[in-house]
Amino acid sequence: MATKTIRVDYLTRIEGEGGLDLQISDGRVTSAQLNIFEPPRFFEAFLRGRGYAETPDLVARICGICPIAYQMSAVHAIENAFGITVDGQLRALRRLIYCGEWIESHALHVIMLHAPDFLGFPDAIQMAREHGDMVRSGLALKKAGNELMRVLGGREIHPVNVKAGGFYRVPSRAELTPVAESLTRAHEFAVSLVRWVATFPFPHFERDYEFVALRHPDEYPFNEGRLVSNRDIDIDIADYETQFEERHIAHSTALHSLVKRRGAYVVGPLARYALNFDRLPTSVQALAREAGLGPVCRNPFQSIVVRALEIVHACEEALRLIAAYEPPTLAALPVGPRAATGFGCTEAPRGICWHRYEFDAEGTIHAARIVPPTSQNQPSIEADLAAVATSVLDQPDEIIRDRCEQTIRNYDPCISCSAHFLKLSLNRT
Amino acid sequence: MTPSGDQGTAPRKVLVIGLGNPDRGDDGIGTRVVHDLVGTLPPDVAVLTRRADLLSLIEDWAGFDGVVCIDAAAPRGVPGRMYRIDLNSAELPRDVTLTSSHALGLPDAIELARTLHLAPRQLIVYVVEGGSFEGGTSLTPAVAAAARVVADRVIAEVGRLRHPSEPLFL
Repeated sequence: MATKTIRVDYLTRIEGEGGLDLQISDGRVTSAQLNIFEPPRFFEAFLRGRGYAETPDLVARICGICPIAYQMSAVHAIENAFGITVDGQLRALRRLIYCGEWIESHALHVIMLHAPDFLGFPDAIQMAREHGDMVRSGLALKKAGNELMRVLGGREIHPVNVKAGGFYRVPSRAELTPVAESLTRAHEFAVSLVRWVATFPFPHFERDYEFVALRHPDEYPFNEGRLVSNRDIDIDIADYETQFEERHIAHSTALHSLVKRRGAYVVGPLARYALNFDRLPTSVQALAREAGLGPVCRNPFQSIVVRALEIVHACEEALRLIAAYEPPTLAALPVGPRAATGFGCTEAPRGICWHRYEFDAEGTIHAARIVPPTSQNQPSIEADLAAVATSVLDQPDEIIRDRCEQTIRNYDPCISCSAHFLKLSLNRT
Repeated sequence: MTPSGDQGTAPRKVLVIGLGNPDRGDDGIGTRVVHDLVGTLPPDVAVLTRRADLLSLIEDWAGFDGVVCIDAAAPRGVPGRMYRIDLNSAELPRDVTLTSSHALGLPDAIELARTLHLAPRQLIVYVVEGGSFEGGTSLTPAVAAAARVVADRVIAEVGRLRHPSEPLFL
């Protein structure tokens, strides 16, 4: 039996470090494993014994790209445990800072990391020689998102201004005025970005995914909603563990999340979009149709279009929130701890980020559980890889390898969060 | 007596950037040098540190005439060995592996800025070869010693960048 091995030692343009083993036997893909060998980071363990007030700043350190997701899920869980509801302008500010994170995270991935795959460039630097205007737009978008993070969070990476009950300090209207000016320009760039990425050549590839996302009665989800799927899941976030389970997999230091009764599922832009298309403003819905998308997109390669649409939405939503902003009297509601368990689930750029904390009467954490987006997508990434590789098995190894890397980037995986290198080895026997 | 070269001209805008994570051993060289420079540079010289998201460097150095970056390089057998690279006259050598655990490192940020014509007119990079990048540790002795040398050189470098007609004595 002929044996063939293709190996890529380092996959670039993802957040973190991991590897892929693709086994091909008798012309058939027999195994596709995304190996995450980032050492376990033990966040859930070292949160035990820490006070609730420390939690938002501790969990922000899980990720430099999506710290707001961790902070927001944590503060919602704390408030859920202690019986506090944050609404009004404080709630609006939370949506606003989340807009900042979506804009900067999505802009980085769409333009700097993912777009080169579709245009045949090895990286964004080479792409910038021919598409300099779009790369400049990408940098401007990222800067606008960072500005929001800086004004509301104190700094753009690992913000320090979020606390249970609200914020340590809230901005004045005057502080948000220049941000709105940046966001107005960013919105124009984002619309152009949607039209640009919609012209990319997409492989004809679809799978019948189970999409899972938050769904809110009125809003495209950031911070709140029920947990729903396109199958039969429609639950309170507190019931997550009744429907989903995490399994340890030998080839990954990140746990794999599965729907207990069915298996792999997908979180993130494709899921949010499919389950919440009707919650997008008509302007974004129209832009989606112009970009060739219906209300559901099952082609993971077109996730780049959905991400661009979400940037447009985040810019519009941020501008709306700023226009309606009146500084609240209190920067934060008072928080009184009690012995209780609290749940938080918010929409990180890459998908739902679910938290559960058990507190004692003083608000000290006795147990913590954090389920990041990438570990939830990992089984679907592997299933995509097997299917994508199968569809190009007759192609040269170089093509198979490139397409596999692109397939992984469809999910904008944040391996740092889930447990960091991606090495790809492809074995044919 | 005439001061060297700068009579009647405003100093050029200069930025010093220390790169790296001070909690990962010798990756903290950039932060240490910037810390050592506090109080030693003219007040119009901007100083900042960056530990991640090096793409933001392109925003950071917008509007500056001259930029000095200090970063760590991967171990190659001589911890503390220092390189000075003038990006006006040289490429960032590929055999000096700058440490970065992120999608875009310093060479990428510089190359992208050049491609987009967003690089400062003068860009000097000081790179110090690390010995250990262990989490939760400080600089190794050889790199700590190099930090003091680099700080002195950056002071001289800043003087020349502010007043380009001044000779550079390193």
